[in-house]
Amino acid sequence: MDQNEQIVSLLFLLQAIATVFLWTLSSLSSVSEGKFAVFLAVDLLSFALISHIYRMQRWTRLPSRPWLLAGSIGLAILILSGLLFP
Amino acid sequence: MKRSEYDNTLARLVKWFDNRLGLSYPLLRPAPAYSINPFYWLGALTVVAFLIQGVTGVIMMLYYVPSPAAAFPSTQYIFQNVYYGRFLQTVHLYTAYAMIMLAFMHMMRGYFVSVYKKPREMMWVVGMVMGFVTLGFGFTGYLLPWTVISKSATDVGIGIIDALPAQLASFVSFLIIGAGGDATELLRFYDLHVVVLPAVLLVLLTAKMYMLETHGISNPVTRQPVRVKETKLIPIFPDVLMYLLELAAIFGSVMLLISAIFPLSLPPQYTPELAAQFVPQPDWYFLWIYQILKISVFEGPGLPVALALVTVLFIVLVLLPFIDRGESRMIVERPTFVTLGLIFVGELIVLAYWGLLTPGQVIPSVQAVAVLGGTALLIALTSFVLYRLAQKKELGNAQSGKSPLSGRLLVTFGFVGVLALGSLGIGTSLNSIVEMALNGLNFARSVSLGFSLSLIGSAVFASMYLLYWLGVEEGSLKRRIHLFELMVDRNGPK
Repeated sequence: MDQNEQIVSLLFLLQAIATVFLWTLSSLSSVSEGKFAVFLAVDLLSFALISHIYRMQRWTRLPSRPWLLAGSIGLAILILSGLLFP
Repeated sequence: MKRSEYDNTLARLVKWFDNRLGLSYPLLRPAPAYSINPFYWLGALTVVAFLIQGVTGVIMMLYYVPSPAAAFPSTQYIFQNVYYGRFLQTVHLYTAYAMIMLAFMHMMRGYFVSVYKKPREMMWVVGMVMGFVTLGFGFTGYLLPWTVISKSATDVGIGIIDALPAQLASFVSFLIIGAGGDATELLRFYDLHVVVLPAVLLVLLTAKMYMLETHGISNPVTRQPVRVKETKLIPIFPDVLMYLLELAAIFGSVMLLISAIFPLSLPPQYTPELAAQFVPQPDWYFLWIYQILKISVFEGPGLPVALALVTVLFIVLVLLPFIDRGESRMIVERPTFVTLGLIFVGELIVLAYWGLLTPGQVIPSVQAVAVLGGTALLIALTSFVLYRLAQKKELGNAQSGKSPLSGRLLVTFGFVGVLALGSLGIGTSLNSIVEMALNGLNFARSVSLGFSLSLIGSAVFASMYLLYWLGVEEGSLKRRIHLFELMVDRNGPK
């Protein structure tokens, strides 16, 4: 696996974990609504990063480092806030 | 990071789907490379918001009952008993706001880069109608929860119908409230919101997509015309589609986060008694028109005049491609239309914010003229200054090289000072006028107004002097800077 594939694999893994986590939430609790939104956002943002890497590969360009960095920081903040959401 | 070939797992997965679904042989034409930019896809993001509205709306339709007795309880039921019901309603509301905002940004971007020029005139017209339909979604959807806020504000909106000409009023009444009464009104609004308006929007969207396929994405605004044949083209599948999905995913995650941070709370149910204690105020996207209608001159018999003015504004916007017939699409070469556009946006923001701050208050006409006129004047002055600077810069660049930094800094500081002086003058003048309108005329207020107006006058004279100094004879600024540089050379350390 090249470096891009390693990143994409990690993002897929993150998506899988976030999706599993979504199924563990109590869907009638208002606390869960916040966590549900945050982890769904994790899924979507991971997808956006995967799509970006894929596009850049096709255009034989390197994925944008600022975009990857911002995406990774965003994901980290989302996961943390999802876990700590009151 | 090593560049990889198009042969990894992800690429093979996409290829697997492509081989079976034939996605890389689409009917849609490829997009030029310059269009891989979010500003080119604001319309597409509006459609994404519409789709999210559709999905969340259909789920809510399973539980919602459109009758005055059951509308609020069924909304409350969705809130409290349906899985993630409150979340669904929050996302539905916030994506509706986003849809209106994105549609507006799409329109204003189109306005400023004049995408409506030949041969895309009808795309603009259809797009404007789509914008009105989007506002219609907001108007009809607002009533459905049957809360005291939504019902009171909608009733104010419906009350405006009486000011229309008789024939038109009876047609609009028939369309949105039928024979009258709460039950008919709610049912009509519900039908319009979930059937008629989505159908109309889809038809218009199809028409716009067809025209987009015919004419293609508009060229970027550059001095040298871009020839599409010489531009790198990107296939719709998978590249453009993946890019759009990327944007849609980011947009969706932002919407989700906003919904998580600011969850909706349901206002009380509508009852006539409760409504009597409540000052109705529309949602933010109608605040600007609400504020216009509160200006004292438009109260009572003046209401038809206000409606006529707003209608004329809408007609002008729709027919814009046939009014702005200039060839150039360059912002720097369209000062009149760009300045008018800036004033339009500025006035909308001022009116909406003002409307938010003054619910139910009638605005004295003098105050309205001062605030709206002051806003227009300030924006026009700023735009004028910026255009002069831009023209100077272009001239400077054309005459071998840019102006030295000291000269440019001086000019910039000069204009910033003038702008600050002018803003101060307009602000204090408005204060004085409001004081005089509310508390009457006296000597102190007259002096204060005179002083404020003199500040505006000084700003105008100062800007005229600056412009004269810059432009009275070609190259005067360059000569002064050259003299300054000679002086530094003579006196400075060798």
